[in-house]
Amino acid sequence: MKKLIHALLLGLVLSLMMAGYSWAADTIKIGVQAPLTGKYASEGQDMKNIVDILAEKVNAAGGVNGKMVEIIAEDDAFDPKTAALAAQRLTTSGVVAVIGTYGSSITEAAQGIYDEAEVIQIATGSTMVRLTEKGMKLFFRTCPRDDAQGAAAAKIIKEFGSKRIAILHDNSSYSKGLAEETKALLDPASIVFYDALTPGEQDYTAILTKVKGSNPDLLFFPGYYNEAGLLLRQKMEMKWNVPMLGGDATNNADLVKIAGVDAAKGFMFVGPPGVNDLDDPAAKEFLATYKSRFNAMPASIWSVFAGDAFNVIVEAVKKTGSTEPAKIAEYFRTGLKDFPSLTGTISFDAKGDRAGKFYRLSKVNEKGEFILQ
Amino acid sequence: MEEFFQQLTNGLAVGGIYALIALGYTMVYGVLKLINFAHGDLFTIGAFLGLTLLTSLGLSDHMGPLLGVIALAVMVIVLVGLIGFLLERTAYRPLRNSQRLSAVVSALGASIFFQNAVMLIWGARPLVYPHNILPTTAISIFGMDVPLVRILMFSTSLVLMYALYYLTHKTKIGAAIRAAAIDQGAAKLMGIDVNRVIALVFCIGPALGGAAGVMVGLYYGQISFTMGWMYGLKAFTAAILGGIGNIPGAMVGGLLLGVIEALGAAYISIAWKDAISFLVLILILIVRPTGLLGERVADKV
Repeated sequence: MKKLIHALLLGLVLSLMMAGYSWAADTIKIGVQAPLTGKYASEGQDMKNIVDILAEKVNAAGGVNGKMVEIIAEDDAFDPKTAALAAQRLTTSGVVAVIGTYGSSITEAAQGIYDEAEVIQIATGSTMVRLTEKGMKLFFRTCPRDDAQGAAAAKIIKEFGSKRIAILHDNSSYSKGLAEETKALLDPASIVFYDALTPGEQDYTAILTKVKGSNPDLLFFPGYYNEAGLLLRQKMEMKWNVPMLGGDATNNADLVKIAGVDAAKGFMFVGPPGVNDLDDPAAKEFLATYKSRFNAMPASIWSVFAGDAFNVIVEAVKKTGSTEPAKIAEYFRTGLKDFPSLTGTISFDAKGDRAGKFYRLSKVNEKGEFILQ
Repeated sequence: MEEFFQQLTNGLAVGGIYALIALGYTMVYGVLKLINFAHGDLFTIGAFLGLTLLTSLGLSDHMGPLLGVIALAVMVIVLVGLIGFLLERTAYRPLRNSQRLSAVVSALGASIFFQNAVMLIWGARPLVYPHNILPTTAISIFGMDVPLVRILMFSTSLVLMYALYYLTHKTKIGAAIRAAAIDQGAAKLMGIDVNRVIALVFCIGPALGGAAGVMVGLYYGQISFTMGWMYGLKAFTAAILGGIGNIPGAMVGGLLLGVIEALGAAYISIAWKDAISFLVLILILIVRPTGLLGERVADKV
């Protein structure tokens, strides 16, 4: 009797192992850790919806390397404790990689669990700088990190070929941070002016007169749209035509209202594209599918990064012919270069941060509309 | 040198606004020895009322820009004057004979009330005046481009300030106001209706603030419910700088503060602009504790 039980148990275990093996052989499992409930449930649901649509499309086209893709979604409820549990469930369900999650602190709670279990994690909305500074080999992200905007601004300023740059910030931690990051990446000799204005005032003519005195060929104002609008308006009244560049906090239609179309015309800003700005044909087609199915566009760009994560995982599995995390991670670091995806081209740097072009330049046209360049 | 004069005009334009608001502080203080902390918020109300009247009545469309703006200013002056009158009746008159501190607390309460009322009525987001009303041309003076609107704004401030000076110094009502400022009891004995004088002061002061609000709205374009705080603080400083209670002092103080700010930003540091202004204020008060023109120079009849 005892032997029989042993034999039965052994059989059961073996068949389960076989079943498990055959499952793994049939499908490629990709996890999604997202806030499906809680405060940011809309973001999390958008993430899952986006990944589901992309997976269906891949499967309809015959899957990856002859295998179907299976999506396993776990809810982290935008809560670190729930996130740890979700991460544990995902690591034991045989996923190749995990997409997510939205919040930086939530990602941080799950990060170590994936790293220990040797599962690739691609964060999608977690911009906190230190997440990729821990030396985790299998951690990546498709969203930019908080200090990426300065680099993008500096790059654009260099592309303009500006020789005399005036930088004016508003002393808020966002604005000052961005100004300092940008300044550090520019040639110190090219910065002719660097100072801060007091936000909330209305008359910036004294400041503009002083900046004008330094004779810059570009005015960079990484502040908010209120002050940017007033600066533009007062700059025009002074008949000073220096081009002005702002950061993502100037991306607000009220800027044109405050400045007036004449003064706002030609103003440029660096910032992430909005969902409606995604102009790649594949992205447009995808968003049309999304809209027809869910009757709305994804609420923000952050959930679209989950789609990017899915695309790069599929690409890596295709190119390496493997589902081994180490090989995929290696491919992400060295093989994946400017891979076209929903929010633009994707590459990863040595730390696992997104290196591809992401921040874009927008310009105000004659009608006062923001046009992506 | 050109930059210096440019900054001087910048400073004078802002200073004109400060002076106009400072007059409201100084008038009320002169008569009642009360700092009307709600004054900055009456300025805000002026700016918002101006926007509402302008857009709902289409004044500048019907009457042309110049007449439209004048009509608008008159309407706002009347309305804000009325609000000032009601403010005095409800928040200050019942406390006239209590301790001075009670009236100050009441003034702070009125300020918070007005600020939140503006937020609830017009919303917390900044609003924008229509752009096409004032001309955007600039006039060239000694090689500097000075926007025409700035000159108009500055001259309007001067006209309003002179009108007030004329009222208080050349008319019978003005004599009554000055008499009440010196000694309310004696003024009463001379047959002056002190309550009426105070009510009048509370109409004129806020009305000037309201006019400043419309000017700021029309010129800078953008108004928000918190704007009165900064302007109120600066104007209060200007009133003290010139000698609080003294009408010419408020004008001098306002213009001077504007110029100090502009020159401080230009030649020392933009970020330290406000710190420099207040440092100058402290230095002047150390040397002349009653402000530049001292208190009550104007009271010598």
